[in-house]
Amino acid sequence: MRKTVALILLCLLTQPLVFAQKHRSLTEDQRVIHVLNRLGFGARPGDVERVKAMGLEKYIEQQLHPEKIADSAAETKVRELSVLNMTTAELYEKYPQPGQLLRQLQARGMLPEEMASDAAKNNQNTPPANPLENEKNRKVIEEYYRENGLQRPQRIIAELQASRILRAVYSERQLQEVMVDFWTNHFNIFANKGADRWLLPAYDRDTIRPNAMGKFSTLLQATAQSPAMLFYLDNFQSVSPNANQGRRGGLLQQLRPQQQQQQRQRRGINENYARELMELHTLGVDGGYTQKDVQEVARCFTGWTIFQPRGGGAAVNAMMGEAGRRNPGTFFFNARVHDDGEKTVLGHKIPSGGGLKDGLMVLDILAHHPSTAKFIATKLVRHFVSDTPPQSLVDRVAATFTKSDGDIRETLKAIFFSKEFNSTEAYRVKIKRPFELVISAIRTLGADTNGGPGTHRWIERMGEPLYGFQTPNGYSDAAESWVNTGGLLERMNFGLALANNRVQGTTVSLAKTNGAQAKVMDEYLKTLLAGDISAATREALLKQLEPSDPATKVVGLILGTPEFQRQ
Amino acid sequence: MNRRFFLKSGSVALASVGMSLSAPSFLERIALGNTLAGGKRKTLIAIFQRGAVDGLNVVVPFGEANYYELRPSIAIPKTEALNLDGFFGLHPSMSAFKPLWDSKRLAIIHASGSPDNTRSHFDAQDYMESATPGVKSTSDGWLNRYLRSKQDSERSLFRAVSMTKTMPRVLQGREPAVAMSNLSDFAIRAGKSSENLQGGFEAIYARETKDSLAGTGRETFEAVNYLKKANPAQYQPENGAQYPRNQFGTSLLQIAQLIKAGVGLEVAFTDIGGWDTHVNQGNSRGQLANLLTQFSSGIAALYQDLGQRMDDVVVLTMSEFGRTVRENGNRGTDHGHANAMFVLGNSVKGGKVYGQWPGLKSDQLYEGRDLALTTDFRDVFGEIATRHLGSTDVKSVFPGYTVTQSKFKGFLS
Repeated sequence: MRKTVALILLCLLTQPLVFAQKHRSLTEDQRVIHVLNRLGFGARPGDVERVKAMGLEKYIEQQLHPEKIADSAAETKVRELSVLNMTTAELYEKYPQPGQLLRQLQARGMLPEEMASDAAKNNQNTPPANPLENEKNRKVIEEYYRENGLQRPQRIIAELQASRILRAVYSERQLQEVMVDFWTNHFNIFANKGADRWLLPAYDRDTIRPNAMGKFSTLLQATAQSPAMLFYLDNFQSVSPNANQGRRGGLLQQLRPQQQQQQRQRRGINENYARELMELHTLGVDGGYTQKDVQEVARCFTGWTIFQPRGGGAAVNAMMGEAGRRNPGTFFFNARVHDDGEKTVLGHKIPSGGGLKDGLMVLDILAHHPSTAKFIATKLVRHFVSDTPPQSLVDRVAATFTKSDGDIRETLKAIFFSKEFNSTEAYRVKIKRPFELVISAIRTLGADTNGGPGTHRWIERMGEPLYGFQTPNGYSDAAESWVNTGGLLERMNFGLALANNRVQGTTVSLAKTNGAQAKVMDEYLKTLLAGDISAATREALLKQLEPSDPATKVVGLILGTPEFQRQ
Repeated sequence: MNRRFFLKSGSVALASVGMSLSAPSFLERIALGNTLAGGKRKTLIAIFQRGAVDGLNVVVPFGEANYYELRPSIAIPKTEALNLDGFFGLHPSMSAFKPLWDSKRLAIIHASGSPDNTRSHFDAQDYMESATPGVKSTSDGWLNRYLRSKQDSERSLFRAVSMTKTMPRVLQGREPAVAMSNLSDFAIRAGKSSENLQGGFEAIYARETKDSLAGTGRETFEAVNYLKKANPAQYQPENGAQYPRNQFGTSLLQIAQLIKAGVGLEVAFTDIGGWDTHVNQGNSRGQLANLLTQFSSGIAALYQDLGQRMDDVVVLTMSEFGRTVRENGNRGTDHGHANAMFVLGNSVKGGKVYGQWPGLKSDQLYEGRDLALTTDFRDVFGEIATRHLGSTDVKSVFPGYTVTQSKFKGFLS
């Protein structure tokens, strides 16, 4: 402890001297632009003036407390996205997967007539796994969905993606949206893994958003108990091989014989969550854990599972007027399959008989581990300051993280008011990720969007669809791992499409321009880049323009410049 | 005006009349490359199965009693495996590979992989792509280092192409490489104004000097310009080849197209995911079986399409690690250790399972649970880099490791 204090003191004493030489501070105007770019998704028309009038420090303070910012415009925009306010159970009811629905209908002898006769003819026990491959089936199913007020499950993620785009564009709580993006990527989940597409709306609404700026330990526990994560990293199926098999009453007996059989076969421990929890969510891969720790942590989390993870036939039950006994797709601790023996995790003893507490203790140990402070600090500094995080800043931010008991707000403050963040070395050096590029282009042009698939498709083309990264590490925040020729072309194509109103669901109205090309161009350079453009780029741009060229060409070209790719 | 820009503009003009002075442009380098090498450029197509494929159910050791003991519900029955040599058999959904095996154009290296014991997908993929297991600080991938090790005056911008949305680790590094998900999208798409606008962007990026955008921008337009000539929309596979209609099939088809277009392709890469079968992986049918059908029929279609060109092409498949020998409680398998790799081509001495088989008895398993490793993947990569691609400085491709001919398995002569 004394050593740590001494180290911090040493840092405080030496750092300012070093940085006084190395880091040049930003001008007041640059600071405003910098904050709007990094704490948010770029300035809309008029934002710079608004922030100046309010005072930058006050703006940052306000952004750190999103709950105090009125946000009716963004909420109005997302109002029609119905999946956002539905429980997971309701999503299972209204957005069933066609194959699953058909199997359940068949089990109850309720198959649509056309399909029932086919199935009987072919002597099939179950409808085909993908009934939509067959043209005739597809029509029957479409008809059935329409008649029963059902929607296809793909719709869920399309609406969730739209909500992320709309909020990033319209929300006054810009930092909140940046942190939602950051944590969604840190605790990454892939929408196309099994049941996750039904579980993700609740993950965004109940797990990530309420905790994006609170205590890290609270956020960590929320993710650990989120059905979406339990499903994605397989923990919902992890059961102790030693669990008491004799006293299995209750739950198992409520299941039909076929399900009982499945439950019995699926007995076994699964290490996937335990490993990624330490490697990617908390300690980092070099954070000092062993394969033995992974096994012990996995034992602690046995029994952390999901009630009816695939919906338990919610759609059919609802149509029959039968309410579920409990909410499908919610977290529960199944003590019967928990390994209740003693465990040792990172040198800490977890006593036997702890039940649910075992996992909670593990999360507490991990949230407060020095490796976690370092790992989270590094990732935050990389996100907000530079692809090559300055070590001295990382150390100070990690110290704040530890001192504040993992308070995300305090940790962010340490970054935003640091010399490194406010230096010219950090100004417009981060290359925008695809999501950031699309949102900032829409914002700076004051464009209107419905956030729909026509807009999301561009984010996908640039290589980073929302909820579309398969593996748990999430998209990299360091540009060198993803800047490539194909992605760069799509960025230019996006700018052209946007300026010419060819992005479906997004509308730009460029003001009528008059006067010399140079004057028009400089106006747009001011709007889109606050005039931060190299002489070489400006000259090259000007050469492309002829008197007859429309404003769409000027804007399309500027959106594709190297300068606009950076924030 | 800087020198590079001058040379570039000058040479583009010259290219149009088919002449060259001292510094050939990219377009000319391709033209020259094809004439000089007579179209006989050697090409490697590397395919990564991301997620760790269960090699024990791909190249099935049906001669091992323990295989059946440890996998009560997911093992491939001996009667269903496609018999290779009386001990190993291919998964039944890989029948597309059988003719290639029979004609000795497909070799298997079993119990191969990374000596590092990590069971993290990310670390293991990282190690396999950097080819420095255990060392995370390596900044470039081994295929990029290969490109650097064999400086090539005729090299083209399409010397290294990844048919992926983002540049994979294995091709990251100082040598230029192109990543794209589809050839036809690789253009400025603005209708009638496309050319005019492309010219505008080219001029802007020609002057850019800062960070990774500068080089990337210039490479982008050189590549776009060349690809226009190859006319990707017109492509028809040959010899009746039928590629699977999905992203993997399209990627392979377009790699074949680039090879035939003579753009100077030397290293091609693509990947296929979905192998992380922790739950319900299936046996002769099911999740893994469906993926293996796509995987093998795609590669077989590529082989058929390229026909005689396979004299100069080698296909290599890899996956970050194998999976546990014992099936888990969810009728799936967890992260394991050694795995099986495929090497295909007309120059390959196929019809043989290479590498020492370590066995599956409990005392033969790695850390008591996984297939043990007997062939370091760098010996496989090294053999291809040396004997197929003709690298003369293989030492620099595999830093910290001694690649010697004596360790090669001999699937290439």
